[in-house]
Amino acid sequence: MNAGERLTDANFPAHPEKATLEGKNKFLGFWLFLGGETVLFATLFGTYLGLRNMHLDGPSGEELFSLPLVFLATMLLLTSSLTSVYAVLSLKQNKVRSLQGWFLVTLLLGLGFLGLEIYEFVHYVHEGHTFTSSAFGSAFYSLVGFHGAHVLFGVLWITTLLARNWNRGITLSNAPKYYLFALYWHFVDVVWVFIFTVVYLMGKVG
Amino acid sequence: MANHQQNPETTVHRHEEIQRKLALKEERKHHNVSFVMMILLTIVAFFAIWSDKISDSFAVLFILTLAVVQVFFQLYVWMHLSHKGHDFPIWGMASGILVAAITVASLMGLIWTS
Amino acid sequence: MATHESHKKRSGLMDWLTTVDHKKIGILYLLAGGFFFLIGGLEAILMRIQLMEPDSKIFTGELYNQLLTMHGTTMIFLAAMPIIFGFMNAIVPLQLGARDVAFPYVNAVGFWLFFFGGLLLNLSWFLGGAPEAGWTAYAPLSTVAEDTGVDFYVLGLQIAGAGTLAGGINFLVTIINMRAPGMTFMRMPLFTWASFVTSGLILFAFPALTVGFFLLMFERVFDANFFNPDMGGNILIWEHIFWIFGHPEVYILILPAFGIISEVVSTFSNKRLFGYSAMVFATVLIGFLGFMVWVHHMFTVGLGPVANSIFAVATMAIAIPTGVKIFNWIFTMWGGQIRFSTAMLFAVGFIPTFVMGGVTGVMLSVPAADYQYHDSYFVVAHFHYVIVGGLILGLFSGLYYWYPRMFNRVLNETLGKWNFWLFFIGFHLTFFPQHWLGLMGMPRRVYTYMSGQELDGANFVSTIGAILMGAGTIVLLINIVISASSKYATTKDPWDGRTLEWAMPVPTPEYNFAQTPLVRGLDALYVEKTAGNGEMTPAEPVGEIHMPNGSILPFILSLGMFIAGFGFIYANWIVAGAGLGLVLITMFLRSVIDDHGYHIHKEEVEADIKGGRA
Repeated sequence: MNAGERLTDANFPAHPEKATLEGKNKFLGFWLFLGGETVLFATLFGTYLGLRNMHLDGPSGEELFSLPLVFLATMLLLTSSLTSVYAVLSLKQNKVRSLQGWFLVTLLLGLGFLGLEIYEFVHYVHEGHTFTSSAFGSAFYSLVGFHGAHVLFGVLWITTLLARNWNRGITLSNAPKYYLFALYWHFVDVVWVFIFTVVYLMGKVG
Repeated sequence: MANHQQNPETTVHRHEEIQRKLALKEERKHHNVSFVMMILLTIVAFFAIWSDKISDSFAVLFILTLAVVQVFFQLYVWMHLSHKGHDFPIWGMASGILVAAITVASLMGLIWTS
Repeated sequence: MATHESHKKRSGLMDWLTTVDHKKIGILYLLAGGFFFLIGGLEAILMRIQLMEPDSKIFTGELYNQLLTMHGTTMIFLAAMPIIFGFMNAIVPLQLGARDVAFPYVNAVGFWLFFFGGLLLNLSWFLGGAPEAGWTAYAPLSTVAEDTGVDFYVLGLQIAGAGTLAGGINFLVTIINMRAPGMTFMRMPLFTWASFVTSGLILFAFPALTVGFFLLMFERVFDANFFNPDMGGNILIWEHIFWIFGHPEVYILILPAFGIISEVVSTFSNKRLFGYSAMVFATVLIGFLGFMVWVHHMFTVGLGPVANSIFAVATMAIAIPTGVKIFNWIFTMWGGQIRFSTAMLFAVGFIPTFVMGGVTGVMLSVPAADYQYHDSYFVVAHFHYVIVGGLILGLFSGLYYWYPRMFNRVLNETLGKWNFWLFFIGFHLTFFPQHWLGLMGMPRRVYTYMSGQELDGANFVSTIGAILMGAGTIVLLINIVISASSKYATTKDPWDGRTLEWAMPVPTPEYNFAQTPLVRGLDALYVEKTAGNGEMTPAEPVGEIHMPNGSILPFILSLGMFIAGFGFIYANWIVAGAGLGLVLITMFLRSVIDDHGYHIHKEEVEADIKGGRA
């Protein structure tokens, strides 16, 4: 069968994302990539943890961070992780419209998160906490900014993916792509769990 | 493709279909439960810091534990590591987490020596 | 088949720029890596000329620092690793019985990223001077350097490193998912095993380096303060990150050489590898321990006796699995019918040489002693014994061994022996005296020394040795040129091989195996030879073969990174934006243009088999 052909309920495989060798390879390769990303973020976390008290004359994390804002951002990202897992459930049932709907919600929540983050950064800069103001500033913006860049990339990714496949149903060739995006999005949320814990909550207790 | 014919195979097929639907329903339930759990864990973590009632050193340990638990929900339930055929992904993540842990530990602990 | 029309046959240069065939990408890696090997070697000889006599003034100060930085950086990142990737590309899919790697397109991206990264780094010679902060680029030396040299280092290696990471993931997935029927993990040839572990190390070590380079780039280009003590930064962050990557990197380099030596020793002793499962276990263990020892590069930093002791013990522990390997190679040769071909000579030369490097390694692992050896020529002697005496001899061995499979020609054995003896004697002449130079107190990375300190003789001998190594390399180049003559055409199995890469005709068909082979034991081809078949039993009937289409996009994507690199080096945001824009456009095109590859028809495959071409 041609990998680009729309799947029907009759020939729908149990795991459309892993039904071809190409899909299997992508699935495994992406998981391994996430293993590498874990080390990438760990290096940034380590750098941040080493330098988080080095704010010099600038404001410290305790003075800067506003927990309600972080809580809201956390809820947005957590919910978007849930909606992307719903999209994967739709994928497994060949319900393409519902998949698109859930991924669109994910996309919007991701955009909301990005908006909050930009607002937060602008606010900090006004408070005198900038990328170059201290080692704490450099480490903070690198870690949180790298995460934000991952969210931004995810937003671009799902936009392209949805637009390209809007009228094509679910095929053996696009099922792995949807699945991989969902994995990526969960991973971005996993990183955020550590960011809100290690950066913001631990920042509040010094 | 598949012309539907009345033969035993179709019955088997239908049976599998029902099985799969039930499994997916079960999965959705798991997803919802872990969502609620994760919301709760997050609220508890924020509250532990917010309320200022817990000593700082304990609070740090406590919220780090909550974060680890929450991440396990993500990895095992939402990212399906608990499902069959995830041996190599588990190996990959476990190795990554091991290297990540020693990296964080050394960058935290081994740079401000006298 | 609907997808068939989309396949265009390209030829000449366009074929090489667009290829996604692992065999051709292997050749590209080998050629580019070989080219950088010559440049790095030339830099080494220039340094040795400067050090030939005391108080010499040929390449002094900044220029000498540039030579030593570029020699180390080029040899590690642009010569050794690409040549390893060349062999992995050319051989691993064949040893697995696979038709290609898991991600042929990503494979091409990986090569071109490495190529353009290496090109960017080397262009620094012509654009304001090469980097001069050493291959380790320690802060603050690297952060305060005012010219653009270090910027070229950071951006060039960042781009090349991204390619390496892609290659690592690709080989992990290939080895896990694409093994032929019957090819269980414990039947995989040792070179494939070594490639597997090396790829794993790449996956977990390179992201740390990626972050390290980002931090250094932010520090230099955007005035960040990670390593600036005045602003609360800490230089040890760079050292830790660099060596968290840097030590696994050493094993990334040496494990494939171990793999090559295992293949060659077994083939030319006509014996199954002694202690196969112990060899596999040792390879994995070395890979694991490789992550636990990086602080031994930082013993003199003063991290305290507890940290130093823990990392010292971990370092010493690595000697155990390595020793297991040495004994297994010796026992493989024991009682075998040894044929001393050039490949075997290099392998046999490797064993005692590498042991010497290992012994000095254990000496260096004792922190108290390391305070004496640190930053002296003793360290230089040690790591050249493991990297040149280990890795490079292994790569030469692999080149002579696999040359027939990769280029359809054998290399001349007489010239090969000249190559070996010149290089081998030259190597020991160069580096053996450096142990004494170090113990007598000669510091590394210093461009001269005074006479009357009893350093003259050993330095002179060392330079003569370096010239002999250069001569050996020139003999290899001559050998490669004359092998182009049809007199050196080869048969499919010139060494009486034991593994799958010798099972198909030369030249290797583009789909590798007309029928996927059935693997029935360790040393799959040898099993069939002893069973009297002479060739592999197919695991499937002749059928249509699915192939990926070539693409120019990997080249353009890497070109975009190259352009963006210039933008960041000169802080020109328009150029940087244009380069990154080109990258994003390429990624966008790749995701919206459907490319399901094409099929080779059953009739074509049957015709190939009949004509002896498959």
